[in-house]
Amino acid sequence: MSDYDAIIIGGGHNGLVTAVTLAKAGHSVLVLEQRDVLGGAAATEEVFPGGKVNTGAVDASLFHDEIVRDLFLKMAGLEFIENPAALFAPQPDGRALTLWTDEQKTVADIARFSPRDAQKYPAFVQQVNGMTAVLRSMMLTPPPDLAALGVNDLAAWGKVGLQTKRMGSKEMMDFMRVLPMPVSEYLDEWFESDAVQGAIGAAGVTGSHLGARGGGSTLMMLYQYSGGFPRARFVRGGMGQLAAALATMARQKGAEIRTGTAVSRIQLNDDGQAVGVLLADGTEIRARVIISNADPRRTFFQLVGPQNLEPRFMRQVRNIIYRGSTARLNLLLNGLPQFNGQTSQEQFTGLIRIAPGLAYVEKAYDAGKYGRVSPNPILTANIPTLLDPTLAPAGQHLMHITMQYAPYTLHESNWQDKRNWLGDHIITTLSHYAPNLQSLISNLQILTPLDLEQQVGLTEGSIMHGQMGLDQLLVMRPVPGWSQYRTPIDNLYLCGAGTHPGGGVTGTPGYNAAREVLRALR
Amino acid sequence: MAAYLAKAGKKVVVLEKRHLVGGASVTEEIFPGFKYTVFSYVVSLLRPDIVRDLRLPQHGLTILPLESTLTPLPNGDYLYRDGDHYRSLRDIARHSARDAGAYDEYGRSMYHMAKAVKYILSMVPPDPTTLNPKDWLSLLDMARHFLNLPQEQLYLLAKLMTMSSADFLDQWFESDPLKGTMSASGIIGTYLGPRSPGTAYVLLHHYMGEIDGAFRAWGFAKGGTGGIANAIARAAESFGAEIRVNAGVEQVIVKGNQAVGVALENGDELYADVVVSSLDPKLTFLKLVDPKQLPSDLVQDIRAFNTRGSSGKVNLALDTLPDLACMPGNGRHLAGAISISPSVDYIERAYDQAKYGEFSERPYIDCILPSVIDPDMAPPGKHVMSCFVQYAPYDLNGGWTDAKREAFGDAVIDTLSEYIPNLKDIILHRQVLTPLDIENTIGLSQGNIFQGELSLSQLFFLRPAAGWAKYRTPIKGYWQCGSGTHPGGGIMGAPGQLAAQEILKDF
Repeated sequence: MSDYDAIIIGGGHNGLVTAVTLAKAGHSVLVLEQRDVLGGAAATEEVFPGGKVNTGAVDASLFHDEIVRDLFLKMAGLEFIENPAALFAPQPDGRALTLWTDEQKTVADIARFSPRDAQKYPAFVQQVNGMTAVLRSMMLTPPPDLAALGVNDLAAWGKVGLQTKRMGSKEMMDFMRVLPMPVSEYLDEWFESDAVQGAIGAAGVTGSHLGARGGGSTLMMLYQYSGGFPRARFVRGGMGQLAAALATMARQKGAEIRTGTAVSRIQLNDDGQAVGVLLADGTEIRARVIISNADPRRTFFQLVGPQNLEPRFMRQVRNIIYRGSTARLNLLLNGLPQFNGQTSQEQFTGLIRIAPGLAYVEKAYDAGKYGRVSPNPILTANIPTLLDPTLAPAGQHLMHITMQYAPYTLHESNWQDKRNWLGDHIITTLSHYAPNLQSLISNLQILTPLDLEQQVGLTEGSIMHGQMGLDQLLVMRPVPGWSQYRTPIDNLYLCGAGTHPGGGVTGTPGYNAAREVLRALR
Repeated sequence: MAAYLAKAGKKVVVLEKRHLVGGASVTEEIFPGFKYTVFSYVVSLLRPDIVRDLRLPQHGLTILPLESTLTPLPNGDYLYRDGDHYRSLRDIARHSARDAGAYDEYGRSMYHMAKAVKYILSMVPPDPTTLNPKDWLSLLDMARHFLNLPQEQLYLLAKLMTMSSADFLDQWFESDPLKGTMSASGIIGTYLGPRSPGTAYVLLHHYMGEIDGAFRAWGFAKGGTGGIANAIARAAESFGAEIRVNAGVEQVIVKGNQAVGVALENGDELYADVVVSSLDPKLTFLKLVDPKQLPSDLVQDIRAFNTRGSSGKVNLALDTLPDLACMPGNGRHLAGAISISPSVDYIERAYDQAKYGEFSERPYIDCILPSVIDPDMAPPGKHVMSCFVQYAPYDLNGGWTDAKREAFGDAVIDTLSEYIPNLKDIILHRQVLTPLDIENTIGLSQGNIFQGELSLSQLFFLRPAAGWAKYRTPIKGYWQCGSGTHPGGGIMGAPGQLAAQEILKDF
């Protein structure tokens, strides 16, 4: 009857985590990836001859160590690079702030901007890491089904509740108070320096079309620091090596992975249950369960088809807010850029962030709000070749630059016309902070939100598979009532970033989904 | 509060610093013959059980209906909604047939949401951090209440608590005037824009009255909002409470860790078993008592309590009726609200300016003409106009000066004149109130009309601070009962009523 126990549509990192977890439990698994490269929005591609570019995510500090251990990924060749500097933030006045993993060094550096902030920083780090510890367990706990609270849900969330309680009453109340707050207000309680606020707080708008004054941006910031704060961790050989390690392990456990194989439809039987997939080339493959790593809107509108679902459910899926607002510029450089205010190259081994203040972030959002590209955008860059020279030809360097806000829906313009302008705009902006940048560029790649949709398959270019606003988290993700990786179609599951807990290279949606599927396959 | 305590047989004295009671809900004759509802101007949230318990109608409370909302548009068109439901639907349909189709469904959803939340309005917030079984029972009861809601309502409520009013309304509507006008309820009293997450809840907060308020809709109190305060004062006096005006309190007298009375500004001292502050949390904890007597956590939380004022008020005395370009002449529309809110983007842009410390040059304005509803408010043939304006940030760049205040007033008049061409010719007198004026006149910290923003991190057991949401304070015998406590602002009466219940339990 069935050719496989499970077919996974999409070889992004979450799909592969699901594949390994299922294969490891002895199930026959087939992964179908439409592109020639694995990893989805966490892939490494040879965009420039000899240049291995991360075309999507760059930072792997959110990836859960439990999953690394449980899936034996180190044995499959996964190697992380921990950076001595987490964040380097050049300022318009020519100075630069560095957040080192070494707290003493960071305190000394912050003191140059504000002695008061420097004094408060260690307590801040402690509070953030206290809260992110709870967040980390929440990420591995599927949200409860509120309509039918089961013993499993209660037990799992009871554990999270106890962990929260153990923080202490004051800390627990702070946790609840802080999560829905705008990051601008939260950081106002801690810091006075724009440089410090911007460097730390800009993470609160990552991948969303919201500003620093938007409620819930504190939660988003904590989510971005859920791997520990401050921290930047890369994958040796490029982010794609994470997918490669997962693929290696999946194959070792008997899974089959086909790239360049697009799925055009999910096949249903007469009872409306998912029974297989139809490939673009007309082949049919059957399986007991189908798991989609594509985002919810793509899964239900394109792969299942609205005619097979209730209008009320489809309306919820249509109402998911995507609103991609992130663009990417990848550069091949003939040397290292020289940043204003830099004292060593070690300073920018982690992320480089242009966000001098939260008012700067908010103003960048103001433009995005009305469908315009930020005149002064937020830039988050890294130069992975500093610690991993094999990624580029000898003597050359790679630089990934993520910019916000580049709204998917442009007012009075379109992305075909604006693509090259966008590249220039990013380079000009960054050149204010690294004047020699322009002269070093030997090759470049520009990815607009439209490109991300067309090339990677991200609806509206949303890198999170749906905005991670408070209204689209936990029991609301991907749509209310369907937060446990199941769907209204029997035997069809979701395992991508559109499910709990959301985007970023965490591995958790795929891992949680696999555990849900295992229960069904038992 | 006073009325409830007196009704329970307690000996109560109310001390008011100004020459009249009411706080933000007062009516004053600032310009001879013209009565301004100086601060708040409409009523809807007042709890029906309070009206009943205190027999407010017998003490002179009369509410006149405020049935219509007119949204004039820059292109000369308008959106007009009034008590005639089908006529309103037809007008909405002129802008979008889809919106007219969704209007009733939206109304039904909000009705259910408000009914679900009503439960919380009448409860004292439990403290989730204690191990007290009473708190846990109350929390469990609350969880059961919400989990028993139909699933769809439960999730809609979750969305309402977390979304921006613009996104929330986008799920139903598409036309600018309707979305703009509706989203405006989500920003009132906040320093947020309609696209800021969290504003959908404020939308609900203002909807509550339409469902459950004593009057089922927005209304205007005869004699202005001062009429409400006066009725409650008469009720309190009828139960034996004493009310003293021109009696500002300087300090609460604390002996050991017990409040024993108050010291007045004139040097008098009054002693009592219980002292209750109706002032906002900042004044209650940081001014009336010495913060050193409080736990440092609480002081820190109160300092962080967000009370950014963002609204101003312009009160006008008019020689004759205003003439609207979109609906000329005298008509029933003048007995309703006139809302300058042509689109969500319009309000959002007004916010954009305010968040960087400028007042909005083209602000959101909500006007009513009290004298059209209640002729006693102005001399025959003349009129008063009450304009609520947002945004006017408390922390204006360079600070508020007389010149800035007049410039702000001019911006309001200029904006209104675009829709009311004869306005500038008929103004006899104007009173402009900035958030700083509101703070200076009636004491609201930073001029925040809700005594603290209604944001998720400042509601329920977090209002005004974690651990101190049950109207108590760390000082024995010292209580809080203002809008800065649960369930928050608006002329609702609930904080005072709940606080009175708690105090009586303790006696």
